[in-house]
Amino acid sequence: MDKLSHEEKRAFMTGNEAVAWAAVAAGAEIMNGYPITPQNEIMHYWTRLAPKFNKKFLQTEDELSAGFTTIGGVLGGKKAFSATAGPGTTLFQEPLSMAEMMRIPMVLVVQQRGGPSTATVIYSQQEVNLVTFGGNGEGWRIVYSTSSHQELYDYTIKAFDAAWKYRFPAIILGDGYQAKMRESLLMYNPEERGILLVQPEVFVGKPGLPGRDRPADHLRNAFSVEEELFEAAMNIQQEYDKMAAEIVEADEQQIDDAKVVIIAHGVVSRAAVAAMNRLRAKGHKVGYFRPITLRPFPEKQLQAVAEKCSNFLLVESALGQLARLFKEALFNVPIKSFQTIYKPGVGITAEEIVEHIESHG
Amino acid sequence: MAKLIKIAIAGEGGQGVQSIGDILAEAGNEEGKEALYIPNFGIEQRGGVSLAFVQISEEQIGSPKFESADIVIALSERAVARTLQYVTKDTLYVYDNSLIAPPEVADEVIGLQAYDTVAPEAQAGKISRQVKSAQEELPKNAKRLIGIPATAIAQKELHPRVFNMIILGATVRAAGIVEMQTIEKALESKLGKKFTDNPKLRVLNFSALQKGVELMDTALREEGKV
Repeated sequence: MDKLSHEEKRAFMTGNEAVAWAAVAAGAEIMNGYPITPQNEIMHYWTRLAPKFNKKFLQTEDELSAGFTTIGGVLGGKKAFSATAGPGTTLFQEPLSMAEMMRIPMVLVVQQRGGPSTATVIYSQQEVNLVTFGGNGEGWRIVYSTSSHQELYDYTIKAFDAAWKYRFPAIILGDGYQAKMRESLLMYNPEERGILLVQPEVFVGKPGLPGRDRPADHLRNAFSVEEELFEAAMNIQQEYDKMAAEIVEADEQQIDDAKVVIIAHGVVSRAAVAAMNRLRAKGHKVGYFRPITLRPFPEKQLQAVAEKCSNFLLVESALGQLARLFKEALFNVPIKSFQTIYKPGVGITAEEIVEHIESHG
Repeated sequence: MAKLIKIAIAGEGGQGVQSIGDILAEAGNEEGKEALYIPNFGIEQRGGVSLAFVQISEEQIGSPKFESADIVIALSERAVARTLQYVTKDTLYVYDNSLIAPPEVADEVIGLQAYDTVAPEAQAGKISRQVKSAQEELPKNAKRLIGIPATAIAQKELHPRVFNMIILGATVRAAGIVEMQTIEKALESKLGKKFTDNPKLRVLNFSALQKGVELMDTALREEGKV
């Protein structure tokens, strides 16, 4: 048995457990991991599930190795993935950059903790810079920022498909809260829902002589001359842009008559929605916008919101990392006002957002 | 707006705070409601105050942590200090009055000396007793303060280890959002194996739950509000 056989099932579990189940559902075959809080339990649950579903696990000596062995598995034709957090996400930039340059699909789950450095093992949204534009490159990654266990499950499956379909590394961006809390979700076998899982292919060591029996594969991360790199980079950018239009995702509510729009991503967007509902109940016209893909960023969707209402309150558990993406998306777009609640490494509640809007308007 | 109940439970490591939160949320989920449980986790594994946040609602739940709780359960002196921030005028504040005694003298200056408590640190026998501070006073702004002598009753009538089941029973009665039989079912699924091996454990746990319900029932009735 290497697939989920059960029907749709309501479960009550931690986010880390949900990710491990989703990886099984997505047809992942091996996890290469190095422990770090708060993602440890992804590894623990995966190793518990692995013998039942005929999966493999490799514990490496550090995150660099976890990333490169993941790439190795993918080159050998396996659906491989890893998970990390905090300083581990920093180390992962090296293998992620290689995957970007060589167009290798891989999936990395990041459960954000406080930063910089060791900071806290608890929670933050401070790894947005790293997951979107970390590494010595152009940010050719797919980043899904989830807000619930259902989304952890859905988007982990989606990340595997997007990575293997478009051959870019895909990241699930969660956080310590989502990792450790328990809530309900519906687990399902994606194939029974008609989701066709993209099958992995062998990248190296295919049968036949390259150039004679089959076309040669060029998996390159090194170039001799500037022009060669230029050509390769422009081609990749073009393919990234083409993909972007197909996969970009955002969520928005109550924009049409909004006087204020709350901007948030990930678990903080739950507080944003709750605040919007409470304020609406009191007669305040509040809307909400949330990028689900942080890379590619839903620029057009945000610009359309700004045309209707551009009094923004941006809320994040970091010092302006989402704000940087937000500002870039609205470059040269006139906006009326821009307020912020920045709480690096600390959770944000609906109460705080309500209070801010009631006192600042 | 749909009913949402927010509960913060705090105590010393080993008191079973996380089990109470976990079982409560699991029972909420079992009844088809939205439930969210998150432990306060950090680097320290021992020696800190253990906090559990539980929310149960008919609708999707917002942020996992919250600023004000409908019910606060404090099971040690340090837990009192740690939970004051979650108390508002609408909070039902439940504490174990066999561990934390209310001040006998109302005057704050003298009142501080009136605590006569068995500090959990002293029970553990390792960590030195904490210096008492004004912080350890029970909150004055809560809607209601209810003392439940759970530790004393567990020791005298049942077993010290089912202390947290008494607290769980009391919480279930106070919250009124999940049925006791769902709690028993959740407990059964968690401890089923142990219960099968030793049926006395089931009786012990369930009696502790029932005792908690009765204690809270009496306390609520004494206040004239059921």
